[in-house]
Amino acid sequence: MKVSLNWIREYVDLPEDLSPEKLAYELTMRTVEVEDITNPADLVNGIIVGRIEKVLPHPNAELLRVCHVDCGLDKTKQIVCGGINLYDGEVVAVAPPGAEVIWHGEGEPVVLKATKLRGVLSEGMICSSTEINLGELFPLSEEAEILDLTPLFPDAEPGITLASLLDLDDVILEIDNKSMTNRPDLWGHYGIARELAAIFGGTLRQLPSFAPPKGVPNYPVEILDPDRCDRYDATLFEGVTPEKAPFWMQRAIWSVGMRPHNVLVDITNYVMLALGQPLHGFDQDHVEDGIRVRTAHQDETLELLDESVLHLADTDLLICDGHDKPIGLAGIMGGARDSILPETTNMLLEVAHFDAQTIRKTVMHHHLRTEASNRFEKAIDTQRCDQALGLAQYLMMTLQPNAKIVAYGTAQTGQTEKLTIDVPLDFLCVRSGSKLTADDVRNTLESLGFEVKIDRRVSDKHIKDDADQEAFVKESLSKDANMEHCKAEKDGNQDAHDRCKELGLGANQNEMKDKHDDVVLQVTVPTWRATGDISMRDDILEEVCRMIGYHHIEYQPPVITLEKPVRQLRLDRLRAMKEYLAFRADLQEIFTYPWVSDAFLKAADGEDALTAKSYVTLATPPAPDRSRLRRSLIPVLLDAVVNNLRYYESFGLFNTETVFLPCENKASDASSSQSEHMPLQRKHLGIALAGDDAVNLFLRLKGILEDLPRYSGVEPFLLVEGKEQPAWADRHAWMVITDQNNNVIGTMGLLAPMAASRAGIKQSVVALAELNLDDLVPLPSRENQFEALPYFPLVEQDLSMIVDREVTWGDIEEAIGKSVKKLEFIEEYHGEQVPEGKKSLMFRFWLGSDEGTMTPDQIEKARSRVIKKLTYTLGAKMR
Amino acid sequence: MKEQLEALRTQALSDFSLATDAQKLEALRQQYLGRKGTLTQILKGLGSLPHEERRTVGALANQMKETLSDAIEERKLELLEQASLLPHPMDLTIPGKGVAKGGLHPTTQMCYDLNDAFRSLNFDIYSEDEISSEHYAFDVLNFPPGHPARETMDTYWISGTENLSGKERLCLRPHLTGASVRYLQQHGAPARFVYPGPVFRNENTDAQHERAFYQYEALIVDRDFSFSSGLLLVETILECVFGRDIPVRMRTGFFPFVEPGFEIDMRCQICDGKGCPACHGTGWVEVMPGGSPHPNVLRAGGLDPDIWSGFFINIGLDRLVMMRYGVNDVRLFHSTDLRFLEQFK
Repeated sequence: MKVSLNWIREYVDLPEDLSPEKLAYELTMRTVEVEDITNPADLVNGIIVGRIEKVLPHPNAELLRVCHVDCGLDKTKQIVCGGINLYDGEVVAVAPPGAEVIWHGEGEPVVLKATKLRGVLSEGMICSSTEINLGELFPLSEEAEILDLTPLFPDAEPGITLASLLDLDDVILEIDNKSMTNRPDLWGHYGIARELAAIFGGTLRQLPSFAPPKGVPNYPVEILDPDRCDRYDATLFEGVTPEKAPFWMQRAIWSVGMRPHNVLVDITNYVMLALGQPLHGFDQDHVEDGIRVRTAHQDETLELLDESVLHLADTDLLICDGHDKPIGLAGIMGGARDSILPETTNMLLEVAHFDAQTIRKTVMHHHLRTEASNRFEKAIDTQRCDQALGLAQYLMMTLQPNAKIVAYGTAQTGQTEKLTIDVPLDFLCVRSGSKLTADDVRNTLESLGFEVKIDRRVSDKHIKDDADQEAFVKESLSKDANMEHCKAEKDGNQDAHDRCKELGLGANQNEMKDKHDDVVLQVTVPTWRATGDISMRDDILEEVCRMIGYHHIEYQPPVITLEKPVRQLRLDRLRAMKEYLAFRADLQEIFTYPWVSDAFLKAADGEDALTAKSYVTLATPPAPDRSRLRRSLIPVLLDAVVNNLRYYESFGLFNTETVFLPCENKASDASSSQSEHMPLQRKHLGIALAGDDAVNLFLRLKGILEDLPRYSGVEPFLLVEGKEQPAWADRHAWMVITDQNNNVIGTMGLLAPMAASRAGIKQSVVALAELNLDDLVPLPSRENQFEALPYFPLVEQDLSMIVDREVTWGDIEEAIGKSVKKLEFIEEYHGEQVPEGKKSLMFRFWLGSDEGTMTPDQIEKARSRVIKKLTYTLGAKMR
Repeated sequence: MKEQLEALRTQALSDFSLATDAQKLEALRQQYLGRKGTLTQILKGLGSLPHEERRTVGALANQMKETLSDAIEERKLELLEQASLLPHPMDLTIPGKGVAKGGLHPTTQMCYDLNDAFRSLNFDIYSEDEISSEHYAFDVLNFPPGHPARETMDTYWISGTENLSGKERLCLRPHLTGASVRYLQQHGAPARFVYPGPVFRNENTDAQHERAFYQYEALIVDRDFSFSSGLLLVETILECVFGRDIPVRMRTGFFPFVEPGFEIDMRCQICDGKGCPACHGTGWVEVMPGGSPHPNVLRAGGLDPDIWSGFFINIGLDRLVMMRYGVNDVRLFHSTDLRFLEQFK
């Protein structure tokens, strides 16, 4: 929302030396966020006022004219212009050389230069409104029409700036709408003025008051749905003329971003922008026999002002005439045929109160958002209607002196009640952590329109009037919450107060309490704040805190009892694991989205992946092919691998994320209503390696997994041959990860060529692993034991042996592992020197004795025992 | 003979000084002093000398043997002192070999930094599943049904539940705050805990908006906890993340689940407050909303708001990381792009 400071100054005097920046800062800190500050005068920077002395034909161009323009300088300027409405004596906007203009109202601004046009010197430009950013204020009726200021300013002095002629100098504050969704009172200049008056200590001026017109016939108004409309006032004006509004009003409306239309529409908009109360004008000639406010029928349609035809829902509220003909969508937009028209002579002015939720539902249902609905949906108090009527009538009388009120009618089914809240002063002091006096608080609150009575005794009567309270709660947006709260507050406060005394608070808090132990402030909330925004003492606390300024509240260290250290094993182990993977295993952590593309689901799980498995899906996914949430990290890892293969040949990634599996036993649970039927959510670890050597990649991955438990401090797991091969895995190189009870908790392996091809991976080899982290058992501390160092030196021996291809390293380990001190695999070799069906295994082992240093003889004997054992059990031959 | 020895000595010393390495020097030792060495040969020839001469020449030869041995040792040390592993000087401009390149995601790093800080203050770290329900995402947080504030968080509803309500209507959590109620329900008060995690919003993405991003929340609930004490959370975070003074401003802000509520902006670290796309030209970036938990939220957590009060903050972790490193596009965090992720060591 845009706010004009000139407009604000109509309602409150602000300090003379207050800079726009300071004002914006204080407003941002205490009330609403000011996002930008602009000055409309900057739009016409450098543009001056000129008066055409003479319009002459151009010697070389039929469509151009040569104008002699008095620009207040010594010499008359010669300007070549193609405008169609040039005449002697015309007051025009002149862009002298050096000024910026938007050529023909399109594109980026360009800096003007004196130049020859078709051979005639032109010392500037006579501008159209769109060329100097004023298209909205002075709409073009025809192309090539220059801005003719003569009607508005016949006596304008040539040479002054256009900004000063139009009085454009102002400060426009751009306020973030999101920061005032809870403040229906701020959606007009008067509300912002009230805040500024409170912040800077000014006095808010009174607005013209409203008295129902006397001695005119009643205009029939009927509210058929009292739950959705609390009040409707209809005032019938006769003899109106939809001429242009006075320039000050057009400028005011334009400066805050709306387009001026005619005086009747502009008055309704002006009142809305001033007070936050939307109004609507109907052409009375289209409204037959009164107003009826009712809910729409399912099959009704309504053509709106913007010429769209709306198919109504039975949640929409309609304004109809006496014959039940819909003439407007309540609180949002008027009908096309029934609103103010150029020929309107009789206007029916609507000022009404509609239920915020109803408006909101209609907005959501039809995706129809207007300045009016933005305000109604925030919940406006019914009393605002009086303010709006007062100002509207005043403006009508002033600006349309020939118009007469010939009928007036009102219907009221409810009204916003004032609300009184008892707030113990010590509550405010303790909770804000500041020393406050009752007078300070009263002054602060009164400046915002609250009424405050200081009561020296503890009052047990919290809500002044139960009946009032009930009525308020009914209207309030947050019905349940408030009702519940008010009850609790009524019942609980005395107890709470006593308890505070018993418990004995921290030193600071006691200090703050002592002085005004029994001071209670009776705070009466003004109606404009009482529609849901303020309903309890915590809300009053906020008012006090924000007016002090949060930035002025000083930090006080809390008094905290330390009971025991925080110990969260699983979290600690998870972090140790991530650090192991990153810093030891040389992998980069990545984040992935929970939704996964169908293409990669198919790549990982086969062409039937989408139907073979069930998924948790999103109702409105980010893209049609990304509605499924991942069940496994393999597809998202493949996605990440493909992304990075564009730039890297080899790399390693890991990802710890949640996977989602549909809740299987949904049907049986459905009986117990209102419980969360959560999908199964598991934390998984995924690892992906990319490179060019399949065996190395597989072994690197295996190594990362083998060392993971020890470095992460979790119970060891095993890597074993698996039974159910995952669709993505290479049939020759995959394993499962099992826990101590042989439950499968993960898989690892090379990406099969078929899956790689589906994923679009051509050259590279990829190895993948996935592990369910929820199945890991964190160890309370370090589990490994110290091993004594060997007393006598060990002897290192290398062997290279030829075995059948089927013989595994595991077989070798089994055969000789126990008869040596240590055994290490070096490499496996298939090649020219190795016969078909065989392979060469190279390994290293260490021999040693606990009795003494081994002699060459002993070493030789032990070595041949190892060789014999391998020959005997595995048919191995020395290479 | 004497002359012969003198000549030998001159020759040997000259040879030694020309030897350029230990090997050559050893060969020279053999040549002169070895069993078949020149000096040895000469000494063998002593026998043929007259007795008188034999004595002086013998003494001379022995002395010379000693001199040559010393000269060799001396030269050896000299050579060692000049020795290098390389035949030529190293090109010192060649960069060193890189260490392992793996690393944690910058957001994880930030999260761990904050965890460490809060752990040191005896806070629990709490986490909750990513799919939650309307009940915990909105209902218990004092979002009245149909309230405009619900719409500010466009939520990913789970298929099949989108038309249900309350606990039956499931969603990818649009914010973390619901977890505070779960924690209070499970653990009661007093409570001190933080809860980091990813959240999801159904919105259009651009350099400042993502569908998946990280939040970090901290909550203290205690007896009569004051607003001014709650500033501890704010101080801790800023100190720990930046370790230097960053201009911040704490201003009023509205969130249904807090009362009073505030918003903390920090000076944009990308443009240093001059105004840039990352801060929408304002020079300030919203990083931390917070406030005292609304009485209705405490009630939902099973606590009596007349006894308990607290302080809460919620940090946009991605936003903070962007500020820490000057990252100008939030979408990079989920890009899986190593060219980006490898920078944060």
